[in-house]
Amino acid sequence: MPDEGSPADHELLRRHVAGDAEAFGELFRRHRDRLWAVALRTLCDPEEAADALQDAMVSAFRRAGDFRGESAVTTWLHRIVVNASLDRLRRRAARPALSTGDEQAFEALVAQDGDPARASDTRLDVDAALQLLAPPQRAALVLVDMLGFSVADAAAILDTSPGTVKSRCARARARLLPHLVHLQGNRSASESVSPAQGGDTP
Amino acid sequence: MTEPEASESTGMRGQMTHPDTDVLAEFRAGLITGRRGARIATHLAGCGRCTALDEQLAGVRSLLASVPAPAMPDSVARRLDMVLAAEVAQRNAAQGSHAAREAVPGDRAERADGDGARESPAPRRPGGNRGFRLLALRVLAPVAAVVVLAAGGYGLSRINLGSSTGSSASTSAGSAERAAAPTAAASAKAGGSVNAPSAGPTKGAVSRPQGITAAGITVVTGPANLTRGGLAQQVRAQLAVPPSARTTRAATSAERGCVLKLIGVNRLELVESVRFEDSPATLIVARTGPRDMAWVAAPDCSATHRHVLDTTSLPSGISGP
Repeated sequence: MPDEGSPADHELLRRHVAGDAEAFGELFRRHRDRLWAVALRTLCDPEEAADALQDAMVSAFRRAGDFRGESAVTTWLHRIVVNASLDRLRRRAARPALSTGDEQAFEALVAQDGDPARASDTRLDVDAALQLLAPPQRAALVLVDMLGFSVADAAAILDTSPGTVKSRCARARARLLPHLVHLQGNRSASESVSPAQGGDTP
Repeated sequence: MTEPEASESTGMRGQMTHPDTDVLAEFRAGLITGRRGARIATHLAGCGRCTALDEQLAGVRSLLASVPAPAMPDSVARRLDMVLAAEVAQRNAAQGSHAAREAVPGDRAERADGDGARESPAPRRPGGNRGFRLLALRVLAPVAAVVVLAAGGYGLSRINLGSSTGSSASTSAGSAERAAAPTAAASAKAGGSVNAPSAGPTKGAVSRPQGITAAGITVVTGPANLTRGGLAQQVRAQLAVPPSARTTRAATSAERGCVLKLIGVNRLELVESVRFEDSPATLIVARTGPRDMAWVAAPDCSATHRHVLDTTSLPSGISGP
């Protein structure tokens, strides 16, 4: 979030459109961690996420003049990132993928880590479980439940109705429940996992 | 949606059977109201099993919320900075050479119910072009900084800012360098021959990174025809060709995308348009830690399509600084 005195998002975007060479960079850097999280969680693949984010950034840079201001700049940026990510998933759909919701693949994914202490790590389990969801469900769940967007904002980002967002989230939660229920008991413990304990896998 | 009615149909004595997890989740999300909602609420009040399930669903939400958002890895941040710097330079160049900015294709979603004027492209001030010239000067510093980052410890003078020698997308930033480029082209002999001496890291043969520049990537053009067998040796030979003996051109956007995809954050050493097993291909070499990594990419390799025909790695001494 911008500090006191730093220009607002829409001001940065306006400067960018007016020709300011640094405004877009400042705007993008301000939000890129969240945008990265959206792309990564939607695509479940760091390399693809980086590609999608790059596509989205270039697209936003070039089309900033079309932004009309009826939504927040962050909503606009997130929409471009989500669309770039979903586009990629659609292209990938022809290839065999986990997004079809293969339970065996899920088990394999959890098991492949080898180290049991790691495999039980909350983040890894959640990451693996997310792959069971159909992409539109996953995108909605990531925005609302993981990144804390309101249903209305998520609907604007996903270009759909709030009811659809609620429904996708509800079904996604139901789908994930059997895979995440074992984590609920030790959640307070896993919340305090420090990066040194393996909570952070680059 | 499936039809959840079946799973919550009223059973004997008006007692509802347990609703599906899906149905409970939708109820929890406020999607089921009215009589159906009331039935579920009544059932929940009297069913320990479903109450437990309901609590677990709420637990899924809080569990998901508790997972910290991953920070963007430095490697990705650097790559995006690099791409952004290239975009800025490209736009700058376009603005410098065209008085009026071209309209960009519209974003339908944003246009559909736009409230119009507020965020429309900035009105052109009279004499605005002068501002762009100043801007072009101002942008050089940040762009250069990124280029240094990408190219490693090499002096700025080694870096081919601009690079668009043979392309219509020539940049104003590149104009300074363009004077030098034809010299290199003119002095090019059999640039890129596989038979070039595969000398060790002697001073004269030290390769310089071709430079990810503000406007793109420079591609060495040469007659080399690489083969699968002994690829590493052949790559060594390509790296040994002195820069003065190379002909270059600007990378196409597909080539640029392919290169960035393959090398990630590693330092680019060489991009060369070659033949591989008698078919067109692109040789890409990057410094990946103690060794150089070389890829032979197919012509259709791009930012979105990783198509590698062969790879090899070799000690980086040959092209080391």
